[in-house]
Amino acid sequence: MSTSELSEDYRDCFQEITNVAMGQAADKLARFLDVFILLPVPNVNMLQPSELAMALSAVNHDESVSAVCQGFIGSGIAGEAMLIFNDSTFQEIADLMNADSDDSNQLELEILMDTANILIGTFLTGLAEQLEVRYSLGQPSVLGRHVNIEDLIKINEKRWKQTLAIEINYKIEGSNINCDLLILFTDDSLNILKQKADYLLE
Amino acid sequence: MINSEEFTAMHWLMDIVQNVDAGLLVLNREYEIEAWNGFMENHSGLMAEQVRGKNIFNVFPEIDKKWFLQKAEPVFILNNRAFTTWEQHTKLFHFKNYHPITGIVDYMYQNITISPIKSVRGVTDKISIIVYDVTTVAVNKLLLAEANQKLERLAQRDSLSGLNNRRHWETLIENEFLRCKRSKINASLLIIDIDDFKQINDNFGHSCGDSVIRDVSNQIRSCQRETDYSGRYGGEEFAIILPDTSVQQALNLAERLRKQIEEQSFMINGEQQSVTISLGLAEFNPEFKDHIEWINAADSAMYESKKQGKNKVTINKQQNS
Repeated sequence: MSTSELSEDYRDCFQEITNVAMGQAADKLARFLDVFILLPVPNVNMLQPSELAMALSAVNHDESVSAVCQGFIGSGIAGEAMLIFNDSTFQEIADLMNADSDDSNQLELEILMDTANILIGTFLTGLAEQLEVRYSLGQPSVLGRHVNIEDLIKINEKRWKQTLAIEINYKIEGSNINCDLLILFTDDSLNILKQKADYLLE
Repeated sequence: MINSEEFTAMHWLMDIVQNVDAGLLVLNREYEIEAWNGFMENHSGLMAEQVRGKNIFNVFPEIDKKWFLQKAEPVFILNNRAFTTWEQHTKLFHFKNYHPITGIVDYMYQNITISPIKSVRGVTDKISIIVYDVTTVAVNKLLLAEANQKLERLAQRDSLSGLNNRRHWETLIENEFLRCKRSKINASLLIIDIDDFKQINDNFGHSCGDSVIRDVSNQIRSCQRETDYSGRYGGEEFAIILPDTSVQQALNLAERLRKQIEEQSFMINGEQQSVTISLGLAEFNPEFKDHIEWINAADSAMYESKKQGKNKVTINKQQNS
């Protein structure tokens, strides 16, 4: 079976799992920032590296972005979660967090990490609970700051051909804050994910 | 009841926790220390008995309390793990570097993981903190960044004149062109060419030519303002970008530079020689298609100076009204 295909059943199933996990993540972010978070329909797709940048709906391609990524591995599933911000949204988030600093560079980094901790951590926990798996989370690292989105994702293009990608676009009501949470699984995780989905589909 | 096998297993598990080469501690809701492993004992010099039950901010007044609470409170409230890196905050605890003799920094860089611990009632009433020593990684990364910066500076500089090289200068003028176009602000471009440079080279040799280039470059550097960008554009051709400067203001600088070079005597083969330069000026014009047109405008003004007998400043004629 080619891994490049994702049947409707599997797509629906992954989408449903994503809905639950992203709802939990949004709830925590909403409580942390005391705002209302708008939830979109998540995108679940098999993507090639060249398609990845285009798939990011929150990202304004004329603008520079910053991103954090965090790896996870366990139970035969491995991948990376990425949180991508348009650089222009930092000030609005800082206002929501009541965070201020003389050093805007430092402030941006704190915001990036705090938001990543909540969104990535909760999402992956929610995912693990539903799939009944356990995995370890690596230390998050800053993937790039003030860079072009194409440059950000190009980094490892040679090493992977295609990936299962879940893209969630979080928006905060009444503001321009808009960020993309991207979960990318390795090729070999897909079979395990499908097996887990089979239990749920039965 | 725990049987003896389970008890032994727990004993060696505790032993590992005690001896693992990472800091482990547990704090309760009041931020009082409840557990403290060997790593923390050895690096802080405080034994578990000395710190247990004490508020962490009292024991370690050097901890940035506001910052730490910002990270730890959401762990209690949201029941969610939090990670921090040395890039955000180099250290939570002020511990000495593990390599006090061969290391190049004095203290330990730390990554921190804060995890919720749930009580039997399902409430997060404690947090565990893991302190990772990442000094080696951090120092390598900082050194690499420094080396890259040095290389970047080298790659942008012309070795003879010490000014920006042509490649880097071209990116600077391209940026300045886009900035002017976008924000409708003014800027001028000055192109400078050493008069009869070929004869200096032919008559006195290339090393004399080189020293003339160096002297002229020094004069350019002394004339330009902090905000100007100068570069060596060709063999004996130089260029200066003057942001937020009208062509009339730029003319003052150009004239001053021309006079300084004219009045300076250059030592060539032990003899006093005079050197002159021809200059061309062009103001930014919103009708320019690209930065090349801007350079061409200044260049043709410079050739006009040459035609008119050299040692002269000319403003591009479309703008000389």
